[in-house]
Amino acid sequence: MPATDLLDRYLNAVKFWLPKAQQQDILAELAEDLRSQIEEREAALGHPLEEADLVAVLKQRGDPMRVASGYIPEHRLIDPSMLPVYRLVLKIVLLWVLAPLFAIVFIAPLFDSARPGTALLQFFTQAWRAGFMVVGMVTVAFALLDRYRAKWIDKWDPRKLPRVPGAQHTTARSNDLAGFIFGIAAFVFWAGVMWQRSEFAFSGGLRIIMAPVWSAIYWPVLGLTLAWALADFFNFLRPARTRVRSWVRLGLDTATVLMAGVLLTVSIWVDFAGPNLSAADAAKAMRWVNGTIQVTLITIAAITLFDAVHQLRLLLRAKSSRPSPILTVS
Amino acid sequence: MHTNGDNNEIFDNLRLELRRGCLAVAVLAQLRTEMYGYALRKALTDQGLAIDENTLYPLLRRLESQGLLVSQWREEEKRNKRFYRLSPVGEEVLASLQAEWRKMNATLERILAAPVNATT
Repeated sequence: MPATDLLDRYLNAVKFWLPKAQQQDILAELAEDLRSQIEEREAALGHPLEEADLVAVLKQRGDPMRVASGYIPEHRLIDPSMLPVYRLVLKIVLLWVLAPLFAIVFIAPLFDSARPGTALLQFFTQAWRAGFMVVGMVTVAFALLDRYRAKWIDKWDPRKLPRVPGAQHTTARSNDLAGFIFGIAAFVFWAGVMWQRSEFAFSGGLRIIMAPVWSAIYWPVLGLTLAWALADFFNFLRPARTRVRSWVRLGLDTATVLMAGVLLTVSIWVDFAGPNLSAADAAKAMRWVNGTIQVTLITIAAITLFDAVHQLRLLLRAKSSRPSPILTVS
Repeated sequence: MHTNGDNNEIFDNLRLELRRGCLAVAVLAQLRTEMYGYALRKALTDQGLAIDENTLYPLLRRLESQGLLVSQWREEEKRNKRFYRLSPVGEEVLASLQAEWRKMNATLERILAAPVNATT
């Protein structure tokens, strides 16, 4: 193969990766440099370069794409200073939200399926699809943050950094108070409105028929709602973050996830009926309401799981860390 | 435990970081005399500062786009070559970099020369 042909092929390969505006200029300079190098080598050898020698020169210069990349301004998708947050968000979303959700929503039906092989395949397909989608969405969100230069990262205040974990730290009392009020309201609603309720009847004959699963979980939900409200009230009175508090919350979280899991084992939670309701309208309303209930249950399970993992981490950290401060100023 | 291989890699990386900033200063200083890329690389190598072509040419372009160098294509030995030289702005920046380099070098020399067991 003629040496010039090999050189042209190399230059052409580099050209492919170069920015259009500078292609000719960069190539002319690169070609000139390579020719100078070839001439020098030929002078040293005392004869024109053979193909193997030229190959060695070009290989020493490097892969065409790598050579071209040096001329391309560095672009980044995510600001390196944001990478720790990016990794944390990905970890939270993938491991603490998506994985448990898949476990709740998709693994249980595997055992009921008549064709477990197909169900398993579907499970993995959906898991991969959801995983890629989540990674993509988080990445795009961070890329946008980088593109539009999130200024908030420069507005940090040392006084707003999280407290160092330890036995003496307290939780936000306002959260506990809000939790208590919400818990009591939920308890009253559940106790009064849901007691022996199989349907809601409205004027005009419209009826919302409750699935049997609601009466099956009436007492467990009532107990759990009261327990959450009391736990929040206790935390409001004694805001110190203790191991007992974490254990209690972990227990309540587990019970809540189980409850959501039980509810998610059915696919229809309410049905609609009425003299003026067409079959199409009833089906549409059913789809919408049941879909909303499903999303709500999944969200509750995800948030609760997240809290359970957080409590577990607090417990583990409390077990492994010494009660002394991080820095001792003497 | 760190092996010799790890240490070599660590040294190579630190050496690369150390060289990165120095290269720009060396190139600017060398281009007080007009030169084309290949000759510049040889001149730097002959003085003990070997520089990879794939580092040098993009660096030249960056320095030119920053206004520190000016270039022109000219024929020499029957071939078109791109000649670079320091621009007036480049001269000013080089003077500042030179002062900074000397200051940094003096500081570093002082730190390196300090007795090992001396504590503040």
